Amino acid sequence: MPSSDNELDEKLKKIILSHRLVPEHRILSKEEAQKVIEKYCGGDKYKLPYIRKSDPIVKALGAKKDDVIMIIRRSPTAGVSVYYRLVIG
Amino acid sequence: MSFGREIRRYEEQAHRYTISSIKFGVLSPQMIRSMSVVEITNESPRNELDEPMPGGVLDPRLGNPEPNSYCPTCGNDRDHCPGHFGHIDLALPVINVLFAEYIYLILKGVCLNCSHIKIDPKKKQRYIKRAWELRKNLPYMYDLFVKKIVKEASETERCPNCGKENIKIVFEKPHKFFKVTKDGEHIELMPSEIRSVFENIPDEELILYGLYCEAGAQAYGAGRKADCIRPEWFILQALPVPPLTVRPSILHEGGERREDDLTHKLVDIVKVNSKIRKDKTAGSVAMALKNDYDVLQLHVITYFHNELPGIPPATHRGVKRLKTLVQRLSGKEGRFRNNLIGKRVNFSARTVISPDSNLDINEVGVPVDIAKILTVPEVVTPYNIDFLRQLVLNGADIHPGANYIYRQKTKSRHNLRYVTDRSFLANMLEVGDIVERHLMDGDIVLFNRQPSLHRMSMMGHIARILPYRTFRLHLTVCPPYNADFDGDEMNLHVPQNSEAQAEARSLMLVENQIISPRYGAPIIGFTKDYLTSSFLLTRDEKRLDKARLFNLLSIYDEIPKMDMVRNWEKTHSGRLLFSILLPKDFTYSLKSRLEEDVIIKEGVLVKGVIDKRSIGAEQADSVLHRLVREYGNRFGGDFITKFASVLDRYLLSRGFSIGIEDLKLPEEVVEEIKEIEREAHRKVEEVIRQYREGRLELIKGLSPEESLEQKIHEILADARTRAGLKALESLDKDNPLYVMVISGARGTDINVAQLTAMLGQQTIRGERISRGYGKRTLTVFKEGDIGTKARGFIGSNFYRGLNPVEFFFHAISGREGLMDTAVKTQESGYLYRRILYSMEHLQVDHDFTVRTSYGKIVQFVYGEDKVDPARSDHGKPVNVERLVDSISLLYPKGKYAGSKYIDEILSKVKDEIPPSLYEELRTVLMRKRANKEVVREAVRQAVLNYRSSTIDPNTAIGVITAQSIGEPGTQMTLRTFHYAGVKEKNVTIGLPRIIEIVDAKQKPSTPRMTIYLDEEHRYSQEKAEEIANKIKSTKLRDVVLGYSIDLASRRVVFKLDMDALEKVGLTPKDVKRVFSRRYSTELNGDLLAVKPSMKLKEGEETNLDIIVEKLRKAAERFLERHIAGVQGIMRVTVDRVVNEETGEEEWVLYTAGSNLREVLTFEGVDPTRTVTNDIFEIYEVLGIEAARNAIINEIKAVLDEQGLDIDYRHIMLVADLMTREGVIKQMGRYGVVALKESVLAKAAFETTVPVLVKAAVRGETDYLRGPTENIIVGSRVPIGTGSVDVYIRVGSDGGDGKEA
Repeated sequence: MPSSDNELDEKLKKIILSHRLVPEHRILSKEEAQKVIEKYCGGDKYKLPYIRKSDPIVKALGAKKDDVIMIIRRSPTAGVSVYYRLVIG
Repeated sequence: MSFGREIRRYEEQAHRYTISSIKFGVLSPQMIRSMSVVEITNESPRNELDEPMPGGVLDPRLGNPEPNSYCPTCGNDRDHCPGHFGHIDLALPVINVLFAEYIYLILKGVCLNCSHIKIDPKKKQRYIKRAWELRKNLPYMYDLFVKKIVKEASETERCPNCGKENIKIVFEKPHKFFKVTKDGEHIELMPSEIRSVFENIPDEELILYGLYCEAGAQAYGAGRKADCIRPEWFILQALPVPPLTVRPSILHEGGERREDDLTHKLVDIVKVNSKIRKDKTAGSVAMALKNDYDVLQLHVITYFHNELPGIPPATHRGVKRLKTLVQRLSGKEGRFRNNLIGKRVNFSARTVISPDSNLDINEVGVPVDIAKILTVPEVVTPYNIDFLRQLVLNGADIHPGANYIYRQKTKSRHNLRYVTDRSFLANMLEVGDIVERHLMDGDIVLFNRQPSLHRMSMMGHIARILPYRTFRLHLTVCPPYNADFDGDEMNLHVPQNSEAQAEARSLMLVENQIISPRYGAPIIGFTKDYLTSSFLLTRDEKRLDKARLFNLLSIYDEIPKMDMVRNWEKTHSGRLLFSILLPKDFTYSLKSRLEEDVIIKEGVLVKGVIDKRSIGAEQADSVLHRLVREYGNRFGGDFITKFASVLDRYLLSRGFSIGIEDLKLPEEVVEEIKEIEREAHRKVEEVIRQYREGRLELIKGLSPEESLEQKIHEILADARTRAGLKALESLDKDNPLYVMVISGARGTDINVAQLTAMLGQQTIRGERISRGYGKRTLTVFKEGDIGTKARGFIGSNFYRGLNPVEFFFHAISGREGLMDTAVKTQESGYLYRRILYSMEHLQVDHDFTVRTSYGKIVQFVYGEDKVDPARSDHGKPVNVERLVDSISLLYPKGKYAGSKYIDEILSKVKDEIPPSLYEELRTVLMRKRANKEVVREAVRQAVLNYRSSTIDPNTAIGVITAQSIGEPGTQMTLRTFHYAGVKEKNVTIGLPRIIEIVDAKQKPSTPRMTIYLDEEHRYSQEKAEEIANKIKSTKLRDVVLGYSIDLASRRVVFKLDMDALEKVGLTPKDVKRVFSRRYSTELNGDLLAVKPSMKLKEGEETNLDIIVEKLRKAAERFLERHIAGVQGIMRVTVDRVVNEETGEEEWVLYTAGSNLREVLTFEGVDPTRTVTNDIFEIYEVLGIEAARNAIINEIKAVLDEQGLDIDYRHIMLVADLMTREGVIKQMGRYGVVALKESVLAKAAFETTVPVLVKAAVRGETDYLRGPTENIIVGSRVPIGTGSVDVYIRVGSDGGDGKEA
């Protein structure tokens, strides 16, 4: 059933994003990303942790190389915690 | 003596430099020659007079002069000559084996004709640009990129540059290269040929092979001057000859000389080299020349590396293998691990330890003899000059004395041992001189016991000089050191300057280490006899008479008011002794080990017994824990010291011992226990009978045999437990066994059971003992006997004694235990080392991020809440419940402040505290209906507590995390499986599972899924089972009754099992559809015919035997075909669990085998909660963040199951580090360690030489920013207090210290 492949992908995408193990991901705007890079890396974005272009979440969000993704984690110590990852090839 | 060179004495220009970086590269032949002081051509090292030959491998110009002579090259004496390189000019070029792999890589990519990379010039330019970018930013991806480019180049038909045909290269390890002609012939590529190809490779293309060339870099703005690593240098034309300092001759007694292994090897090389040179000029036969050439190549190979497969190792007359260059560096005994990481120290001592409960916990007893050798340098000031003069007068032999003095004026050092007139020196003493005085009472020293598994293995102690020859320590510090006194030895170190002493005092002192950073609770506390004593002293019936009470009270410095004492004497004098030590405002309650209340009210123990739960070591939320947290380390240390001495004295005067009589149970109890045993026997016989008759009720997912074993296990384990309880109950309350078990001093109910009731089942790998003579364990049993006694059940106890058969089984089980411990220590030791080297360079930055030494971010906020586990209250920054309770006591009046007020106060601090603390404060304050004052005060104190529990910048958090996971490794079971009764739940646990996780193994050894169901299916067993049947992978075999072979039409006909089909929700048509895609099929009722495609060789068409055989094979293949369900899900069981969030009961599926992607989209499954234990699968389906959470959950699950307490933050850091790169990296040489920026740190871990070679090829630079690198070069580590300096402001506002 080749026609439903896309449908299946859409469904899988939804499932992935709603899974308990997957925290909320958000693509930062250019300005926000630049701010994060300035704040934490003094301009060198490669000091950030990475996420691959091939990562299912990156694909689901449609993020591109060099985007910074903000991750809002549920934390057993702090309650909520924020993490950033740079999309690399 | 001069060889015409300028003589420079290094001493004259004795500057001290700090190494700022180390650059790795490859030496060019020109460089080798220019740094050489002598060309080695003479094949004999010494002449007839045994003197070194000029131009030989021992030429004196290479340095290392004899004692009392000077180096002819530099003019320094033996101690100051650094040694000088010589060189050998090789008659023919030779491959440097270490680079062979890189040579192969280049050969694959380069065109042998034009020396350009076989890639389209336009594309090439793009690649070059990308390569430089990657090299700079993502070195790990650069490696892959190089591989990709070379692969692409090697696969082109023709060279895009010159059009010549691509020639395939074959690499025959370790050093030979061949080109393959069109006819498939192998022609060897000679080193000279390779060299000339390499020489013509343009500089700018080098980056594409992974080589570094700054000339190329310049164009892309990376470098300054031309500085290249040229591939032709991988082929040696000149060989550097290392200085003699590196390979000294050893002089044996009797004047016999032994040369170093390297020297031997060099002689070999020089010999062949001169032979070839002679042959060449003489125009010798090509064959002979080729032979010698091969020998030269082999000698040069073994000179570098003597353990290569395929190369005969060089030996000493065929016996001992020579240790050549690679062997010198690598391995545990190699230069890196043995000499560069493992430094040796002065000012240390080692001796046997013994206990002394009269010491303070912070103290260590040091024997006088040691104190007279270890010294502390003390600068003479006007304030201590008289004191130091006295020490000088005492000299080296009288204890508080001194060994050396250093006089500032004359810059001279005097050894007091050899000075006759010490009073003269004493009088000469001036302010500014330094006296190296003996170690004295009150000095701070470091005390250590190996293995140093965590930071509490090396603590600061205050020295106490004592007679006799052992180190003495307080018994409560045994747990952190893991020390006992059966001959243990410990080491002691004396810090030599005030900075080190101050650090030791404030950071390392025992009392400041009471709380372990592993779990945020005391690791130091009362153990063993202290607990016995405390239990006896504080239990209900205890009354001390006046004399005894006062005797014990006299140990304390302060004696409480008499009326208090008088009262207590009547009520409970034992509890008084404890209560006196408590602060007057201390109120707390908890449960004792017998689950009875222990109540402390305003500094008085009102009720309950003080046992392990209250004051034991490694107990969270104990009285001791509360005291240390709330009244400080100093108070805690003091409490331990004081209470320990009372407990010690009390137990001494009361007396406590155990004898064989104490194990004797009353007759009637013995009879009862025997009855329990008999009953167990009967039950076991019954299940065996059921099993034999085939009517044994099976346990889900288990075979009959497994079910039987499982049941027997349960019956026998239950018997022992009940017998043990019977025994324990029957013991007198004063029975020492009872006292020890109940107080937590030593032993468990199992030990009591084994001593007094029965030993129980002996096991091997968790199973009843079954090996032996074929069908029986011992010849006293009948064959096939699977009863209790024949399989290692022991009904006897240690009191009664074991019979020979029982004794034998016990020995088997005991031996397994010994082997397990031996293996475990090894495995966990290696795990620890890997974790340590993976994390050693992580530290908390000043913005509370966790970074590598080179600035890469691993966590944005340490532990996500900045809290230091060592300053936490069992993981939390603030114990809100307790805080609110204690404040409520101070402000009892006033009515409930209301939620509005609480929110208002809290909102002011919202940004300062983590959300979880905010929420907790809110809920607790509301629940306890706090009044306004309490709300204000509680919030204020919570914020203060939170601030004081945040982690210090520069903390070596990586090391602490590694220790926290590595140290408890030895306590984990090695047993691989966990029998939870249901087979699908039996997963790998303990150490093997942890190793599997941090190894980032692609597939877990026991893949398992936990499948949650949707609303519709989760509440009924039938519906859950319906899904279970559908989801389980169904093979054709599962729905077929049998098959036959239709020879006429060459088909196989399967008879379908209609019932089975219905169970998994399939129709025969569905089955047909699976096969009809590829084969011609026919369905006739329940008969399914499939015609397999058959390849028959000539002459086989008529051979029916062969055809039948082929059809049968095809049928078997079809039977294994997956036709429905989810592939990979092998078994499924249904079980009921309680949903933690809703509290509802629901049905879940446990599976053996895993397939996350398909299960998530399966109808009836709750895709939001369903998980697998396959971390890689989670990464692939759900992404890196989900994988990170999965790693945490999996590690946590193992630790919880093992009962190990490790702070959550440690596990988080491991998971964040493993996933930092966006993919899962293992904690080891191919993963996290390979990503380290420092060459030296990588080389110090594993694969030393390959790491160094790669660094050389890449032209890497080590900037020495991490701890390992700095240990190697011998400078202070830039982590923790090593990354700050202390300055003191002198002048206007006095001397307030300021860190900068």
